[in-house]
Amino acid sequence: MGLMENVPKVLDPLPGGSRLADAVDYVVNWARSRSIWPLTFGTSCCAIEMMAASMARYDISRFGSEVFRASPRQADLFIVAGTIVEKMAEPLVRLYEQMPGPKWVIAMGSCTISGGPFYYDNYSVVKGVDRLIPVDVFVPGCPPRPEALLNGLVLLQEKIRKETLRNPRRPGEPLSAPAEDRWARAKEAWEELERIKDEQMAEARAKFAAEHPDYKPPKPPRAEKPAFPEVAREPAPHAGWNARAVADAVHARFPELKLFRLGDVAPEVLEARPADWIPSFEVPSGKLLEVARWLKDGELKMDFPLLLTSVDRLDRFELVAQLMNSSTSARVELRVPVEKIFPEGGSYAAGEKNQKYGATAPSLVPVWPGMGWHEREIYDLMGIRFEGNPDMRRIFLEEDFPGHPLRKDFDMPGRAIPRHA
Amino acid sequence: MTARTRQTLPPGFLLPVRDGETDEFYLNLGPQHPSTHGALRVVVRLDGETIREVVPRLGYIHRGIEYQAERDNVLQFVHFADRFDYLTALQNEHAVCLAAEKALGIGVPERGEWIRVVADELTRISSHLIFLGSFGTDLGGTTTFLYAFKMREAVTQLFDELCGARLTTNFLRPGGCARDLPEGFVQKTRAALETVKRGMDEWDVFLSGNVIFQERTRGVGILPADRAVALGCSGPVLRGSGVEFDLRKKEPYSLYSKFDFDVPVGSVGDCWDRYAVRVEEIRQSARILEQALDDVPEGPWRSKEKVSWRLDEGSWWSEVETAKGILGVQLESQGKSDKPWRIKVRSPSFSNLMALDEMCRGQKVADLVAILGSIDPVIPEVDR
Repeated sequence: MGLMENVPKVLDPLPGGSRLADAVDYVVNWARSRSIWPLTFGTSCCAIEMMAASMARYDISRFGSEVFRASPRQADLFIVAGTIVEKMAEPLVRLYEQMPGPKWVIAMGSCTISGGPFYYDNYSVVKGVDRLIPVDVFVPGCPPRPEALLNGLVLLQEKIRKETLRNPRRPGEPLSAPAEDRWARAKEAWEELERIKDEQMAEARAKFAAEHPDYKPPKPPRAEKPAFPEVAREPAPHAGWNARAVADAVHARFPELKLFRLGDVAPEVLEARPADWIPSFEVPSGKLLEVARWLKDGELKMDFPLLLTSVDRLDRFELVAQLMNSSTSARVELRVPVEKIFPEGGSYAAGEKNQKYGATAPSLVPVWPGMGWHEREIYDLMGIRFEGNPDMRRIFLEEDFPGHPLRKDFDMPGRAIPRHA
Repeated sequence: MTARTRQTLPPGFLLPVRDGETDEFYLNLGPQHPSTHGALRVVVRLDGETIREVVPRLGYIHRGIEYQAERDNVLQFVHFADRFDYLTALQNEHAVCLAAEKALGIGVPERGEWIRVVADELTRISSHLIFLGSFGTDLGGTTTFLYAFKMREAVTQLFDELCGARLTTNFLRPGGCARDLPEGFVQKTRAALETVKRGMDEWDVFLSGNVIFQERTRGVGILPADRAVALGCSGPVLRGSGVEFDLRKKEPYSLYSKFDFDVPVGSVGDCWDRYAVRVEEIRQSARILEQALDDVPEGPWRSKEKVSWRLDEGSWWSEVETAKGILGVQLESQGKSDKPWRIKVRSPSFSNLMALDEMCRGQKVADLVAILGSIDPVIPEVDR
């Protein structure tokens, strides 16, 4: 790069040298624009369309860009395909810095342009990759079709062909001189055009109204809306197991447990349940491990940890665990209320944001090892500590992320822009 | 390896430090790596070339979809479902719609259910085809990608006609589908199935029968059946370990009880079994589709639109067997609002990836890529 920059510096002062420098520019740009090697980088949906673009049907190699490089040190083009979240921002910038110049960036898809569907109400997505690295071409779409990516590539080639080896700033000015504010100039030009257009439109409307005093615009045609019938939902019954039998078995072993939202286990309550009901019991936190051990080793043989999650009920947390028998697919759901512990005897204040409290619950890892990551997820997003989990760390967010986002009192206006403010 | 790092292991590593001289060191893979399927980062603890422990570091694509879901109504959540696992977009939408239908008591007419089944099975084929392509590439054969995508384009073309999008389809609605079948869809699906079936026969010759491929997958990354169950693995990972569990058989939803198909099961639980299960599942999906195409029900493709999405107090769980495993949606509402109080997505890749550590222990570092590929995780679904 250093040598190439010197070419115009040396040639320009010579008689006729600037034409020669132009020729060098042309050849260099021609070569560069026709063999752009992209970096293999994709985080989500757009990556699949990027792969599709490089496959036989769309065939990106027609444009000289089929050589996807896994190392940034061999790549010229950074196609940012997929959502970029805050945790990814640092690796992304480092990858860009590792690429040798000259280098270009295509921002593929809505997420990389502005955050896309994740712009509002989101605490982790970077709202536009141009906040991190300079972008040459934006390709809109969610995800863009492969044709759109190819179009973006062609636009980039066009851009590269217009590049020059000369100093882009005016000669004689120091390099620290501020660059021209092209955005403001473009905005002014655009506003002027809009003003002229509005004037012309108003004139034309007035003329038309004078010529046709009793004109009424026709009603736009509307597609006929099909009428759909109301269909009653028929709950599909469980194929291999009986929810009543499972509820009765749990009730026989732990008679003190109550059904969640329904109260005592009684025949008339069970009778009225829909066919796809899953027995759900309210279990106090202290009894959880005992119930869990029995569910796994007792007659029900619930060996499959299907689900563990938590719900913030404002004054308390609620753990939701669903266990399954892997041969019959019989289920049971446990609901465990978990107290919020406030320092210095405080209590939940309705409406107050970012309150300080903690919560602990017994870990289910000794019974079902598959609960480990689910517990870490709950700790990360809700802030419930599980005692007995060997690896109680945050799983998704950075260790220094302030707060737990799925708590109802989590508020961070700087991160999450509310859609319905 | 210095004395200092011996005493304090990096976070996440749980196996105790062994006495005596060992050759232990740590290797980082990702988040930008061609065989980590997107933005997964894995830190491997190696003893020479043998893996002692693997710790995935997640969150490089954690987008907070569940946080966003609490701030929109259920209908608005459908398009987010496309974006957790973009390879099985229609199946994810199916799970979300089932939850909404349970909560609001909406029924689906038969044609709507039929379209859903066809869409689900086409999705399964297209997702498994991506697996076949990327698995072959992970093991060093770039050609597989080209062949798999050739077959997949035939299916993607159908999505394009059905939904107007190739990947993130946003097609299903609580109560049915957004649109009716386009003209000539049945004939085109038959033609695409022919392409896929012919392609799969070719596939058996050039990849499944390949000696190098078999050497690299057979006996590698064994996951015993009881461990697969205890870790909550599902889908081809669970079936590859020999557990015959498929929600389409165990808890038949939609029209699956009407179709005749087999659930392929592995015997050893190695990478080869997980691969073979997926190859067979493509054929079984084609079988379901052929049965479905013979008998297309007439009538409306959705039930009457809801005017209000207001939810009563309650909790609803719905689940679907996607190409990756059991995808469940837990919907919680406190009433008096059309916004759910909490939506939790139980994603299959999240639980399947938990088994990575166990599969890798004692294997060589070169096999890590094969094992990771055989789990077929989709990282945006792991992180959500």
